[in-house]
This record gives sequence, structure tokens and C-alpha cells, in this order.
Amino acid sequence: MAEEKDILAAAVSKEYSEGFVTDIEQEFIPKGLNEDIIRLISAKKDEPAWLLDFRLDAFRKWRQMTPPAWGHLSRLPKIDFQDIIYYAAPKKDEERPKEIDPALQETFDKLGIPIREREVLAGVKSKVAVDAVFDSVSVSTTFRKTLAGMGIIFCSFSEAVREHPDLVRKYLATVVPVGDNFYAALNSAVFSDGSFCYIPKGVKCPMDLSSYFRINASGTGQFERTLIIADEGASVSYMEGCTAPMRDENQLHAAVVEIIVEKDADVRYSTVQNWYPGDAQGRGGILNLVTKRGLCRGENSHLSWTQVETGSAITWKYPSTVLMGDNSSSEFYSVALTGNFQQADTGTKMIHIGKNTRSRIVSKGISAGHSENSYRGLVRINPGAVNARNHSQCDSLLIGSECGAHTFPVIRNSSPSAIVEHEATTSRISEDQLFYCNQRGISPDDAVGLIVGGYAREVLSRLPMEFAVEAQKLLSVNLEGSIG
Amino acid sequence: MDRIYRIGIDEVPRHLTLNEQEHLRLTFVVMPGISADIPFEINIGREGVNLEILGLYLSPHSEQVHFKVTVRHLVGGSHSSQLFRGIVGGKARARFDGLVYVAKDAQKTEAFQENHSILLSEGAVAETHPQLEIYADDVKCSHGATCGYLNPDELFYLRSRGIPEKEARKMQMISFISPVIGHLPEDLQQQIISRL
Repeated sequence: MAEEKDILAAAVSKEYSEGFVTDIEQEFIPKGLNEDIIRLISAKKDEPAWLLDFRLDAFRKWRQMTPPAWGHLSRLPKIDFQDIIYYAAPKKDEERPKEIDPALQETFDKLGIPIREREVLAGVKSKVAVDAVFDSVSVSTTFRKTLAGMGIIFCSFSEAVREHPDLVRKYLATVVPVGDNFYAALNSAVFSDGSFCYIPKGVKCPMDLSSYFRINASGTGQFERTLIIADEGASVSYMEGCTAPMRDENQLHAAVVEIIVEKDADVRYSTVQNWYPGDAQGRGGILNLVTKRGLCRGENSHLSWTQVETGSAITWKYPSTVLMGDNSSSEFYSVALTGNFQQADTGTKMIHIGKNTRSRIVSKGISAGHSENSYRGLVRINPGAVNARNHSQCDSLLIGSECGAHTFPVIRNSSPSAIVEHEATTSRISEDQLFYCNQRGISPDDAVGLIVGGYAREVLSRLPMEFAVEAQKLLSVNLEGSIG
Repeated sequence: MDRIYRIGIDEVPRHLTLNEQEHLRLTFVVMPGISADIPFEINIGREGVNLEILGLYLSPHSEQVHFKVTVRHLVGGSHSSQLFRGIVGGKARARFDGLVYVAKDAQKTEAFQENHSILLSEGAVAETHPQLEIYADDVKCSHGATCGYLNPDELFYLRSRGIPEKEARKMQMISFISPVIGHLPEDLQQQIISRL
């Protein structure tokens, strides 16, 4: 038995391979947060006056707010918001402003993110359009021209503000209002770059769109803003990935993602979150405090969230859907893995407003080491939501006796024709399962990977293919040695 | 031991600590017309305890019922189960907050929690917060919650056999609450059924 224990213990201690720092000349703005800083960020990005007003309004709201304390996150430190650099960007070569710095190129190559179209077209990588964001700016967006031919707009948020101000203005903050919560207000005040995506009426996006977020500079935070709009009958699959260097300090990542799904449109949003989780003693790591929300505005609209959360010291994230259109539907599939001293408080909200709205929640939590993993969710059926239907399933898997797994669902039903069901279970990897695998020549590490992979399969199978392969690898790597 | 609390008539203890090996069954009954906050905490401090908590709420008018049940497994080797069922109509609001806490090293704990509600009308609200907080790995814990309405197929079945609608609905309600009231004394059972 002692041997098995060692194996479990070792499983969580695998190194973080994306933890390198890119040595590149960067420009920073001074530390701290005040109206001047916001004006400076806005000026750096050459923004119109309405957007500056939007930021300043958000900042004034934010100052009146206090950070939420209800999360089950005992290790969330008190954040000094004056001690953060809110804008950092790699310096551009003045003679060749259009070209990507080779150091950046190398960084994204190392991370396996195709930011050159050539390679993708040659068939080395699969066909995915990428928007790569490095600290506070987007460095490259591929396949813009190809997509533009179909009327699809896929670009960085700053470009969208310049080139499609009407669209941005029409949709910005319509799903996540400025004062929605503390971190969303902060983001609205200081957001730097992110992706903007608009799929026009009746267009099915021919390739997966993806954003890749990279934090590099120390002492900074990343505040990206993503806006996805699928017009009537449109469909798109969108993926998001993220990594950061290994550091002893905590870095803040406070993003806002808004998705608008019109009549008959279909959006699939997938995330593989692999921010630096901190070391085995719980030092450092990203504080991932994110607001993501989609609005199924039209009839028969559909939004699907799939997330694999393996990184971050702290995760506070609730991708939610407001089901406003009749017959609209939404799904939330999540795998959250915590090891060492990581803490995750994540889940979803499904707000049923329209008739015949349907939602499904599948959440799989895995806790190991000294970590804490919580599912927190809300299913609300409003009085007019006739025949609404929800089914939620939240399973927790505990590995070792030092970790915690918690479930905090809320169900509020005001519609007498609705059916809501919730179930949750807690289990662990049993010695019998391990023994069975070992006996057949499967090493304990592989056995853990196998069992966890099987446990998370329902969610992983929802991911686009490359993502699924990567997520599976991440899960087994992050669990290596956790049997102890 | 079997204890029955009729809310509004019997006094309910706020805290209980179980330090004896025992089998304890607690039943809470909230009759129509009664609004109440029912906070109740129970700590299990010894292995071999078998705790069963049952709850029934019938709120057809404008009642406000709020259960707040906390079960703490401070040591391992015990068993607890909770089953709350209710029928909510009119403008009534029913809320169930249930927390199962399993302390670190309380291994071999088994804890189950269930809450089922039926809504009868527009304006009625049922809210449920079934929570699990678990710090030990070798445990069996689960919870389930549902909220729905009386099944129209069942109703059709009964009516097609000549049972009038009103009576058929009553039969459906009796079958829905019977897991909770099944072991209650005959007279209390009759009293509950007559109020459906």
C-alpha cells in the first residue's frame, strides 16, 4: 500500500512546461490605477471618446464596489490594485511595424500556437484561425482575409474598435453590464486587448476560431475582453487557451467574455485553461478571476460551454447563459483539476426566461494534494419559462486525504411546468481500480491517467479534436505522482 | 429513536450533538397555513451513528417555509441521510438549505441528501441549496434535488380508469409524499392526507 501512496503523492508534482519567460523589450505604463492611468491606456490604444467615457464610468463604479468574498477560496490573497501594471506591450520595431518580432514568433512556436498562415495551409497544423494576445496587446491574427471574404470579422478588440465601432458600441457590455461585479467593473475600466468576432447572418464559420492568451511581463495583470456575436442562423466554434511564466508572485487575470447568440445561431465555446498554478508549496500562480456570459437572445439559439481548468492558483469563474429566446438551449461541460495548493471555485449559471428553454450541466471536479475544488452553480427558472428543463450532474473525485471537494448548487424554480433535476456524487480512485490496472501491467501513473480520463470523458469528448488531445495530456501530466 | 416535530406545535431543538452509537430518526412536518424558519444543526461526534432526517412541507397558499439543515460529520464511520419533500402552491415560497459537512479524516462516512418539490401554480417558488463540503476522500456522499409538477401521464392513467381528476391528483400527491410519511403514526398520516 505504501507504494501506491507514493505514487498518488508524486502525481501532482509534475513540472509546468509553459513556465518560461520571453526576453523581449517591452513598454510599460506606471504602476497603479487612477483616472490618469485609464486615460493613458485609452490614449495608447488611440480610442474614441465614447470608449474612454465607458472606461471612466466603469472605474467610478468599481471604486464604490468591494471584492466578492463568498467564494470558497481561503488562499485568495488581498490584492493591492495599486501595485499592478495595467498595460505592458512588446515594443514594435519602428522600421518594420508590420512584422512580428522573432522572439514573439519563437514564443508562440514553443507553445505550439500557429501564428503563421503558411504552416497551417501547408497542413502542418490543423486549420484554425488564431488571435494571439501577448500581455496587453494582440500580436497577430491569422486568416483574417479568408474569413473577411465570407463577411466574418475576426480581429483583436482594439482593431474592432477602430474598424467596426458601430458593432462594438452596439454590443459591448450588453451581456455583462459594467457594474455586474467587482472584477467585471475593473476589467471594463482597464481592459487591454482580446478578440472580437462577428459571424454575419446565415454564415457557418468554415474553421475554428481561437484566441491564445499569454502573460509574460512580471508585475502586470492581464485584462482581456472578448466579444463574440453570432447573427441569425450563424454558427461558430471558438477556442481559448492560456499560459504564463513561473513566478513567485501572484499575477491577476481578470477577463470578461460576452457572447451574443441570435435566432437559430449556434456557438460552441471551449477553453483549456492552463495558467501557471503555483509551485508545490503554493507560492505564486495566476489569480484567474473571470466573468463569462452568453445571451441566447433569439429563438432556437444554442450556446455550449466546454471548459478544462487545470491551471491557476485561484480560479473564480462561472460561464453562464441567459436563455431569453424561446426554445433556446445551452450546455455547460466542465472538468476542473486542482493539485498542490490550488483552489478553484467554478461552475455555471443557467437563467431560463424563454419558453421551452433547455439546459444541461455536467461538471467533473478532481482534487488532489492540498487543493480545494468547489462547484457553485445556479439554475433559475423564471415565472414565464413554460416547459423549461434542466438537468445538472456534478461529480467530485478526491485523490488523497488532504484535499477538499465541495458542491454548492442553487436551484430556484418559479415555473410550475418546469422540470429541474440536480445530482451530485463524491468518489475516489479506489485501491481495487489501481490494483486491477497494475496487475495488467499498467503503471500506477498511467492507471491514474486512465481512470481520470474515463471519469472526465463525457466532457473531453465535447472538445474540438486537438483540444481534446491536449486536455487529456494535461490531465495526466498534472496528476502524475498524485497517488500517495 | 424516532422523534417527530410538527412545526408550529412542537418545539424544535436548534443544535444536537450525537455522541452515542444510536439510530435516530427525525421527522419534520410543516402543515398547510404554517410559515416558519427552521434552522437545525446536528453534529455527529462518534462512529456508528445512523441518522435519518425526514421533512415534509405542504404550502398551498402564501406560506413561507425555510429549512436550514446542517449535518456535520466530525468523525468517520457514521451514516446520515436526509429526505425532504414538499408540495408548493398558491403564492407560497419554500426553501431548503442543506449542508453536509465531512471533516478531514472523517473517513468511511456515508451521507446522502435529497430534496424534491412539486410546484402546483404560477406564483409559487421552490428554492433549494443542497450543499456538500467534503474534506475526506474515503467517503460516500451524494445529493439529489428535483423540482417539477404532477405527471400528466399518471393523471391520465388514473382518469382513464374512472377516477375523478381531483381524487387522482390527490392520489398522485399521496404517492409523492409517502416516502416521508410512511412511518408516521396512523392518525398523523390521516391528518396530513386530509389536508392535501
